[in-house]
Amino acid sequence: MEHERPRREFLKLGTAGVAMAGLVGATAAALTPEKAAAQAPAGSLLRTVLDRGKLIVGTGSTNAPWHFENEQGQLVGMDITMGRILAKGLFDDENKVEFVRQDAAQRIPNITTGKVDIVIQFMTMTPQRAQLVAFSRPYYVEGIALLTRPDAANKTFDQLLAGGRNTKVAILQNVDAEKSVHQVLPEAQVMQIDAQANVIQALESRRADAAAVDLSTVRWLVARNPNRYADAGKKWYSMLYGAAMRQGDLDWLNFVNTTFSVAMYGHQNDLYDKAFKDYFGLDAPGRTPGFPSI
Amino acid sequence: MLSAILYAIPFLGAGLAVTLLVSLLTVSLSLVIGGLMGVALVYGPAPLRWVIRGFSDVVRGIPILVLIFFVYYGLPVAGLNLQPFSAAVLALTVFKCAQVIENVRGAIGSIPRGQMDAGKAIGLTFPARLVYVIAPQAVRRFLPPWINGVTDAVKGSALVSLLGVTDLMHSIQQVIGRTYEALPLYVLGAVFYFVINYTLSMLSRRLELRYSYIRD
Repeated sequence: MEHERPRREFLKLGTAGVAMAGLVGATAAALTPEKAAAQAPAGSLLRTVLDRGKLIVGTGSTNAPWHFENEQGQLVGMDITMGRILAKGLFDDENKVEFVRQDAAQRIPNITTGKVDIVIQFMTMTPQRAQLVAFSRPYYVEGIALLTRPDAANKTFDQLLAGGRNTKVAILQNVDAEKSVHQVLPEAQVMQIDAQANVIQALESRRADAAAVDLSTVRWLVARNPNRYADAGKKWYSMLYGAAMRQGDLDWLNFVNTTFSVAMYGHQNDLYDKAFKDYFGLDAPGRTPGFPSI
Repeated sequence: MLSAILYAIPFLGAGLAVTLLVSLLTVSLSLVIGGLMGVALVYGPAPLRWVIRGFSDVVRGIPILVLIFFVYYGLPVAGLNLQPFSAAVLALTVFKCAQVIENVRGAIGSIPRGQMDAGKAIGLTFPARLVYVIAPQAVRRFLPPWINGVTDAVKGSALVSLLGVTDLMHSIQQVIGRTYEALPLYVLGAVFYFVINYTLSMLSRRLELRYSYIRD
């Protein structure tokens, strides 16, 4: 947080610049954020955010490829891009967003206590969570895959399955952790661990035979370190990743949904497609005019 | 392993500074506030003593992590919405205060009552008795347990990473989050914390020597 201050100062300058530009170009027909703020319904976070001049997104900084610091110390990743897509939609400037770093356990509390406008932090949508927060439309369908060591005796899914109750699988702690592993490895011992990096550490330090991690992480790691990691060749358990917001603010929710849909299915795909390629190594499917595919 | 460590070091400077700042603020604030409260616990009027005793017992009975989350999420209900950094420093300071109170109480309690009486007999006022008679003797009883507590404070400061404050621990996690090389980074973190605390221990030994002029 501390070292993000210079950027905040910079944002202030940016805001001043926008205000000047607004005065100069007052005759332009485009909808400025100021005008939008005046038209946004009172009491909605949409108006608060527009008035404030920047979006506040709660996210993490310790999980590639979702939210992590690159070597220049900038926060990047798929979640970060989704935040920038919203900022672009709000202010026509993808940099007008402040990322509040938070632990995964803070995702719901930071929404319900109003510390952030929205949480975009690889959050799996569940009916239980939806009783506490309002989810956006999904922006990615995650799966679980098994990461193993290339030098281990049991490195393929069939070998792990044959290991029965001797197979130990590390997984990030969550409500469905046990159940999700047992879906494909019914007898395996499940070790629930607090952070994604420590799940992988459990594999490396041989405390676990396999790490059940997100499919996206398995792809990310195996592509970068083929000598250290192997993909056991199994993917299952589709999970929807959505952004989370405070309940009872339909205007804000609708704004987020619309902006995500336009970025994923409409005409403003640049940021989404580039992130999809950069972080998952995949090309987003082409959009076909005609019957809506969403 | 060495290459992973060398790679990580440049990314940890800012986090290290935050850890040192959190520790410094916690230790100095708690020394002043806890010191005053400790004196008040021994010499204050009964209602004040009850309040401080209650505060100390309650705070020492709560895990520090719970205290941190309470300050961050609980106080906004009472209208005090703190940033993660301030919330973390406040929680750690409150926790450390309770320890300092007990350190002070123990140190003063170990000075024979006759010292206070002797001060009275030669006509010293209460502040003068405290400063010239009790404090010089109590300080050397106070220092060893307090220094132990200071190293605890440095180690405890790693918990602020759970509020998303980018301290040493959190910057280590950030590098791990990018490279997924956890073990070398945790070793590096342990070395950093050890160096800080070993330096503090050495300083404390010198400090204790300085105050060892008073013999029992």
